[in-house]
Amino acid sequence: MEAPPVTVMPVTGGTINMMEYLLQGSVLDQSMESLLHRLRGLCDNMEPESFADHELVYLLKGQQGNPFMLRARRSLLHPTAPWHLRYLGQPEVGDKSRHALVRNCVDVAASHSLPEFLNEMGFRMDHEFVAKGQVFRKGAMKVVVSKLLRVLATGNTENTEPLSLSYLVELSVLAPAGQDNVSEDMRSFAEQLKPLVHLEKIDPKRLM
Amino acid sequence: MQQREEKQLEASLESLHARVAHLKGSLQSFIVKLETEHDRLTWPSVLDNFALLSGQLNTINKVLKNEKTPSYRSQVIIPLLLSPDRDEELLKLTEQRVPVFSHEIVPDHLRTKPDPEVEEQEKHLSAEAARIGPEVAQKQIQTLNKLCSSLLEKLNNPRDDRDSETSALRQNKPSFNPADTNALVAAVGFGKGLSKCRPPGSVPSGHPGQPMMSTGPTLQQVTIAGTTGHQAGMGGQGTQQQPGQPGKMPSNIKTNIKSASMHPYNR
Repeated sequence: MEAPPVTVMPVTGGTINMMEYLLQGSVLDQSMESLLHRLRGLCDNMEPESFADHELVYLLKGQQGNPFMLRARRSLLHPTAPWHLRYLGQPEVGDKSRHALVRNCVDVAASHSLPEFLNEMGFRMDHEFVAKGQVFRKGAMKVVVSKLLRVLATGNTENTEPLSLSYLVELSVLAPAGQDNVSEDMRSFAEQLKPLVHLEKIDPKRLM
Repeated sequence: MQQREEKQLEASLESLHARVAHLKGSLQSFIVKLETEHDRLTWPSVLDNFALLSGQLNTINKVLKNEKTPSYRSQVIIPLLLSPDRDEELLKLTEQRVPVFSHEIVPDHLRTKPDPEVEEQEKHLSAEAARIGPEVAQKQIQTLNKLCSSLLEKLNNPRDDRDSETSALRQNKPSFNPADTNALVAAVGFGKGLSKCRPPGSVPSGHPGQPMMSTGPTLQQVTIAGTTGHQAGMGGQGTQQQPGQPGKMPSNIKTNIKSASMHPYNR
């Protein structure tokens, strides 16, 4: 019996387990300009890319255990672009000497019916926010400087207010598991941004 | 005497030719680098290229200033034969750039006077220099030297004096607030500080929150009721996309069910 064509079988395996290495920090509004200049000098030479994204976080509450979280993100600047669905796992509790937060990451693109689909699946939107800022890239590293805005009326992205007087700075790399030189490179890059911004691994559970 | 001069001329021309060839090579590689890798270039590597070029220009200058070099100004180049025909030898010599040794290319290639604009500028500069007089010129030279040396000192004597200034500045203007960092990370991580409960009144289309909860049980009722489960499901989906108060939703479903049950094509 011949093997069925690839499109018929469900997609299992064959995908590399991608991990996201993350370092986070923040910079006050008044020091943003100097940080942008420094990043323009340090990062790859390209026009800095601005973005304005609306992110909705969906939770699936099972009978017991932690709720399952999915993040759906759409661009406010490119309304016809597909939605971006992301799953982020729990941070890996590896050796403490690893300099970045490591967690499993699955990214997929989705059509514009994503919110309805998630609602049908049983997910409920937990919270949403708007992030506006710029993206820089250096090789495989991505630096995102974003202002988080609170959405005052659900779904209404026009009416927003800033969450704080700072911009969130995130340095991230998407790499297969087990590459520790990635975190070394991230740490040396983070050194170059001091003392403007301290990028460090912040365990979100600590802040709960 | 004549022979010695000739030999000197030949030797100096050869060395000059070699230096110019080096310069040409490094210029070429720099241009190629700029054209192909311009988005990956770093400022230090560009600086390296410029440093290389300036070093090579310096050696050329040294060769020209060398006492063994005869004065080129006293030499004259006269073209002996001009022809509009293609010259293969010339092509080979000039890397395919000059095909014909003709009347058009001779004024460009054998010129000894600088460009008119350059000539103008040189005249300006020499007039200026003559005008200000030697004492003022000396003073200007001295100030320039002083500025350069102080700058070099500042750049070369690191840390100690610089650090004290910058640390004072740093204390005055912190550029980040750790409390803000924690707040932002918590907001992105699990929505701390972002309103979670949705007030029932505000329901824009496309993001049904609480209304979904109320349609949930009513959907259940619909399927249990057993009427055309398929059509009722469709009806239920239709109502989700309509904005409205949760109170309205159940009634909408009921009317849909009624119409569905009156459908002639019941399953």
